Amino acid sequence: MDPTVQINERVDVVCVFKKQGEVFSLCVPVKMRWHGREIELSELALRHPTVAGKRMIHVFHMGDGVNGYRLEFDAEALTWTLVCLISGEDHA
Amino acid sequence: MKNYRLNTEIPKIMHIDLNSAFASAEQQAWPSLRGRPMGVTNRLSKECCVIAASYEAKALGIKVGTRLSEAKALCPDFIMLETDPTKYTHMYKGLISIMQDYSSHIKMKSIDEGVIDFHPKYSTEKRPLIDVGYEIKQRVYQTLGRHMRINVGIGTNRFLAKMAAGWHKPNGLDQLDHKNLIPFYKSIELEDITGIADAFGARLRAHGIFTPMQFLEANEQVLWRRVFKSIDGHYWKQRLTGFEIDDHPTKLGMVGRQWVLPKASHNDEWLRSCLHFLTTTAGVKLRYRNVEARGASVWISFNAGGGWRDKQMFHMPFYTDADIWLHVSRLFDHRPKHMDVRTMGMYLYELTPSTRSQLSLMDDVIKAGEITKAVDEINDFYGSFTVFTADTLTGTKTVKQKIPFGGTEYFELLLKRA
Repeated sequence: MDPTVQINERVDVVCVFKKQGEVFSLCVPVKMRWHGREIELSELALRHPTVAGKRMIHVFHMGDGVNGYRLEFDAEALTWTLVCLISGEDHA
Repeated sequence: MKNYRLNTEIPKIMHIDLNSAFASAEQQAWPSLRGRPMGVTNRLSKECCVIAASYEAKALGIKVGTRLSEAKALCPDFIMLETDPTKYTHMYKGLISIMQDYSSHIKMKSIDEGVIDFHPKYSTEKRPLIDVGYEIKQRVYQTLGRHMRINVGIGTNRFLAKMAAGWHKPNGLDQLDHKNLIPFYKSIELEDITGIADAFGARLRAHGIFTPMQFLEANEQVLWRRVFKSIDGHYWKQRLTGFEIDDHPTKLGMVGRQWVLPKASHNDEWLRSCLHFLTTTAGVKLRYRNVEARGASVWISFNAGGGWRDKQMFHMPFYTDADIWLHVSRLFDHRPKHMDVRTMGMYLYELTPSTRSQLSLMDDVIKAGEITKAVDEINDFYGSFTVFTADTLTGTKTVKQKIPFGGTEYFELLLKRA
């Protein structure tokens, strides 16, 4: 029914900050390490801000060519969290 | 050729509509869902309804209102996600930002559609609005994502602009004016007309109006006196011929909240806490609109069928959480307490502009107002329900904020509190 897999775990992320371009793509996570696995993030699908109380959170929806990942960057604590993923495998 | 007295002005109203907005936003965010039949719902359950379906799902007959079980029967691979307000908020703000670059006269009709009025200064001779429409489409792709598609409609009034936007879905761009309006009306059915649902359609048919052309040709007096039996007959004649009739501010009539319980219950303590929560959020809306209420109403629908409602007017206007809850809870106490509640709601009516800035002679009134103001400010800064009455504790954990449909009056408030 809902293919979302909740993770909510801190992850290591390599991020590129560009000097110019659309706001949408100025900051792009390119790689993350989760449970020892390195995952190349090839697509920035959507980035949007949100807040948790007074904390600014930047939400990044990323793709690796197969799966989709929701990463959140806490701009106050400077932490990356893999919130959930949707597998690109058959959802039937 | 027959003279239909159409508006021959150059069209300067543009209607912009995000196609399958919520579903498209999810497909934009989740690459693995693209090209798949999927939908979104407010709360996932076995019998939840689709509130937005992707185009792949629509092609299979799954549309808004289809139950999950029906959708699964039509398509076993159908995927349903819960709504994500922050995502749609981002899309909404992005769309507004683009629209504001073209005119200061914009009006969002709902979370996924808005109107740009290019009157009176825009010169279509320098640059036709069709070109502007294509540019807006391009900017939406670039800033919101290439899976976000919009329909653009251009017309001489808001009605025709919306009709034009719905002409070629998805991803269309059309203009309706006196040159192509008659062929357009000849190509559509009566119920294709925006605002003519089954009930209006039946009423028109009962008076011998079966097609949009017959509607257009109908005598205005007949529409006024016999079909609509109100000035609506005149309004419809104006709309159909391309004259503006819908450019007016809407009056705020009531403020409220309703909620479908996850499981029917008659547990008084639990119901009161959830209703108190609803009341508190309605109070925030009331103060956000800078109005006060003089009337309160509570309504319930029972699991066994039927319902109950009560309302009351008060001498003094009220706006503090304490006063609102006092009035609402007293009404709620009169309900049939043995019945299992399925849905409940409350609203405040007889709204008048706030008099909060005026000094009161009574000390306790000033104190109550100051407490409400302080709590609102804390919750604005630290997040909603940082400070709340203990009685709403269960409600804060149980009732979820959902995506508002229709008006966008509280969207800025929702953004602040998302």
